Amino acid sequence: MSTAAMTQQIAAASPRLKARIAGVFYLLTILTRMFVEIFVRNRLVVPDDAAATATNILVHEPLWRWGFAADIIAFASYIALTALLYELFKPVNWSLSLVAAFISLVACVVQAMSSLFHLAPLVLLRGAPYLSVFTVEQLQALALVFLRLRATAYHNIGLVFFGLYLLLAGILILRSTFLPRILGVLMVLAGLSYVLFLSPPLARSLQPYILVFPGVGQISLTLWLLVMGVHVQRWKEQASAAISESQRTIRG
Amino acid sequence: MTEPITETSPRLMARMAGGWWLLYVSLAGLADFARRGLIVSGEAAATATNILAHEPLFRLGFAADILAIACYVVMTALFYDLFKPVNRTVSLLAALFSLVGCTIQGFACLFQLAPLVVLGGTQHASVFPAEQLQALAYLFLKLYSQAYSIALVFFALFSLLIGYLIFKSTFLPRILGVLMAVAGMAWLTFLVPSFGAKYLHPYLLIAGSGEGLLILWLLVMGVNAERWKEQASAARDWRS
Repeated sequence: MSTAAMTQQIAAASPRLKARIAGVFYLLTILTRMFVEIFVRNRLVVPDDAAATATNILVHEPLWRWGFAADIIAFASYIALTALLYELFKPVNWSLSLVAAFISLVACVVQAMSSLFHLAPLVLLRGAPYLSVFTVEQLQALALVFLRLRATAYHNIGLVFFGLYLLLAGILILRSTFLPRILGVLMVLAGLSYVLFLSPPLARSLQPYILVFPGVGQISLTLWLLVMGVHVQRWKEQASAAISESQRTIRG
Repeated sequence: MTEPITETSPRLMARMAGGWWLLYVSLAGLADFARRGLIVSGEAAATATNILAHEPLFRLGFAADILAIACYVVMTALFYDLFKPVNRTVSLLAALFSLVGCTIQGFACLFQLAPLVVLGGTQHASVFPAEQLQALAYLFLKLYSQAYSIALVFFALFSLLIGYLIFKSTFLPRILGVLMAVAGMAWLTFLVPSFGAKYLHPYLLIAGSGEGLLILWLLVMGVNAERWKEQASAARDWRS
């Protein structure tokens, strides 16, 4: 490829804009997730009381459904973020960036599927005729079981994959020249914290400290992407270096 | 930026792919071993007792499965890289099938933990008789098998396409492509889950040896680097 064509392609990229849009999507994810956790689930779900939880959900059904919508928006938003970060990190290490994007996709889909169990209680508690063979307490208990399943899928599967994604993102940031290394360190620690959810007992015993690094890391990254974007000059340098490196690989 | 070809040498890529795949096989095998020891086929009560008695082992099996899937995702990305020079579209399609399979399997792992949720709660212990809870737990394990069968179909398509890509490549022996395609056909029988499960063991042997050979080749021989580079630059020139 000629130098002129190469330069033109890099110039067309606009990494700072991509970084800022990525920041917007990350912020959207964080805000919707906070909404669901704090204003919907925390308020309505009573951990060991099936009857109270059931009553809450039925009384505040619109809010519960908004919680589901917010969850889906969060995961869709994260997919957009994944695509943009993939683009941004390609110059650092294309293979690693691709692996990270794949892992994130798996995480997003698992989380979206777990939202199914957020809706399941509504199906159980609405009192359809075919459910009359169960007692009310049984249906309420089942509803709570489904909510626990949602939490299990979200924490012990989804967060683990997210953790791996954050870990890889952290490594990519550390090896990049266009983002501050401290962000990389925070993301690596955030990722490792989430991966600890592979063991629910371990995660439970480390609450709430286990959420410190993920919180600090992700919010920091979001704010940096929004405000500072990336260092454009260095991104372009790393991008053209990557292209010539890959051409060397082929020419042997 | 158009999609760059990787900066890593093809031989290293192939070896890494083989390595991550081997890690997947080991972890998945570990998980399966843990599960088989605990699940008593057809016996909900015995299974429930086993799971509760050996909960750490059961959870370890789950963790191993999750990490195994992560390894498979890494291997998928590397395979996509490796086979792009052969046919970029087919390589992408294969990767997407594999990703779908991995996602389904990831979500299916929820049904592995579900028995613990069902059997562990004190509130539902009072509302459902114990046998029903045990049956429910066992039902979830059955659902796991079913969900896994769905994932297997997608992995079958992945294997078939990889077999095709190997066959059409210049940098890997064609016999490995044939073996992968055979393995893919074997996994496809899970489209009819009962059919697949009934004839599982001979198929496992066929599929396993095909994939095992490929893993071994990738680890030991890698790929023919010069031929890979030829095919890569030919693909690039044809596109531009």
